Amino acid sequence: MNNRWLNDLHRKMEDHEENVPDGLWEDIKDELFSGEEENGLARGMMLEADDKKESKTISVSKKSTLFYRIGGMAAAVAMLFFTGKLLLEMNTEKTNPKITVHSENADNLKNAGKKITESVKTGKNESVNTETGEKYSGQGNILTEKTHIAVILDKIFNNEAINNKGVSASGEEHNIISLTKEVRPAFHLSPSVDGNPVLKKEQDGGEIFNNHENKLPEKYAVNDKPKISGRQPKKWMLSMLTGNVSSNSSEQKFPGYTSISGSPMTFSDFWISGTDPDPLTEVLLANQSKEVEARIRHKIPVTFGVSVYYNLGKKWGIGTGINYTKLTSELHSGSNSNYIKGDQSIHYIGIPVQVNYNVIQKGRFTGYVTGGVLAEKAVAGKLKTKYIVNDEVQDEQDERLDVKPVQFSVNSAVGLQVKIIDKIGIYAEPGIGYHFKNENQLNTIYKEKPLNFNMKFGIRLLLD
Amino acid sequence: MEENKEQILIRRLLTKEEAAWKELFGNYSGNLAGVCSRYLSGKDDVHDVLQNSFIKMFRSIATFEYRGSGSLKAWMIRITVNEALKHIKQHSGITTNDNLEEFPDIPNDEEPDFEEIPQAAIMKMIRSLPDGYRTVFNLFVFEKKSHKEIAGLLGIAENSSASQFHRAKGLLIQKIKEFEMSKKAQYE
Repeated sequence: MNNRWLNDLHRKMEDHEENVPDGLWEDIKDELFSGEEENGLARGMMLEADDKKESKTISVSKKSTLFYRIGGMAAAVAMLFFTGKLLLEMNTEKTNPKITVHSENADNLKNAGKKITESVKTGKNESVNTETGEKYSGQGNILTEKTHIAVILDKIFNNEAINNKGVSASGEEHNIISLTKEVRPAFHLSPSVDGNPVLKKEQDGGEIFNNHENKLPEKYAVNDKPKISGRQPKKWMLSMLTGNVSSNSSEQKFPGYTSISGSPMTFSDFWISGTDPDPLTEVLLANQSKEVEARIRHKIPVTFGVSVYYNLGKKWGIGTGINYTKLTSELHSGSNSNYIKGDQSIHYIGIPVQVNYNVIQKGRFTGYVTGGVLAEKAVAGKLKTKYIVNDEVQDEQDERLDVKPVQFSVNSAVGLQVKIIDKIGIYAEPGIGYHFKNENQLNTIYKEKPLNFNMKFGIRLLLD
Repeated sequence: MEENKEQILIRRLLTKEEAAWKELFGNYSGNLAGVCSRYLSGKDDVHDVLQNSFIKMFRSIATFEYRGSGSLKAWMIRITVNEALKHIKQHSGITTNDNLEEFPDIPNDEEPDFEEIPQAAIMKMIRSLPDGYRTVFNLFVFEKKSHKEIAGLLGIAENSSASQFHRAKGLLIQKIKEFEMSKKAQYE
């Protein structure tokens, strides 16, 4: 269809003028130039607007959905159940600023409010929590969590019953372990925030839930492998590892606006003098009288993979394999309600080469030292940019990252392995890793924190 | 030099000089009133939105970057349109389906001829469009927004924006034809 006439219409009407309403200038003058009151007035108006926003957020937050709630609970339960004190203590130094979480909340909840209908159950839970007050909201949650423990246990045992092979059981367990580890930061955070801990947990839970889902296909892939390599000699050991870097989620802060790479934005690139406003200018416009700040938060890397170890004699072993790492970073640039939100996720496939030395072997326990190199290649990267004005998403852009660097790192760790049953052992490997700098634009946790401590957990399966 | 004049005005605006703001008002208020009237039917609404827009400009002039002739006007229009949309949202709300059945789907593949029709008459036609249609039509034609952007701005579905626009266009063509017919009838 030909819409040229609409352009003509635009041109024809462009210089059209209407009568200005009577007394308009007088009103504006009164508002703007009536002496010293001007500043106070303007400020008052802005405050009012902020208040409105605040209450809006709160009311929306009550509509948080069952999905996030269950995700949060499941994650919290798994965490309570499996990790316990040890892991908590390891994370004590880690606290994230409250603001970040709040804004994330707003965003998340808003989406939830839009897309998913409110469920009665969540409404009830919410009211219980608010009544008992912030102090006790954690407890309220735990009560409901308990019922979920049973559900989760059921799941695990059913799985075991159906698939008699140890492999799938370990797969499930492995998954839960990885889940729990991710929860740690979330759980740990709650005491430090005086706002609404429940919400935050929920939100983090939602994220974890997603991660968990992402892993499912991978889990099946892992399960398939042992069948192929099932005929290998006993010396070969297949292990699945899942690891993540504890205490390593990091945050960078910049004044003003930045892009996800951490470099300051240049507005000249974006400002077009034409008539059509782009989303960025709307963000800028909305923030013009506010303090802006950019934060980049690198989330904890999630790693998992399969590896095979070949025993060289009794003490030594070499291993290689393949593993997958997902790095996610978040950008929050602007003020609290008007900002640019960027989500960067990069997927790495890596090949580690490890040398193990068994220091001590006593009964079910094996203590060992391991060291090795890891070459990781970014296989895919995505950058999602959202422009948010007044807590509303104005525009969304998806972008593929074409830079696909190879990342080298060295690592060393001490490990302790415990055989649970005949052929299955679980291990924990606290270690240290160093990621070599590479000259690319990807701003990841590897670049921001090249040296990191990490904790890997996994399950090793000794094959017949 | 035209350009300099605009830049001088901007510099004076930055010092929050009353005379400069009065000049700005004098230069652009007619045009902005036109923009507002395309979105809003009530005279009082136009008054309120223009007032808010100027206050917003006053507060945010420091962030304005001069990008050549006309950029000041574009900036002002942008603020005004945003204010108008805000006003619509607060007051009448965006009607999502606006009784699509009420108006028949008019085949509109013909290009209407409006060369001879005065601006005021066209304005009247645009303003007589149903509220929801008019907002979408304005954003699409005059603000050059895509349907995706409009959907985001108004909180409606993308295809709802497209269909409202389609019908608005049809209605407008019909109105233009009617206008020409009545004019012809006058002469005959």
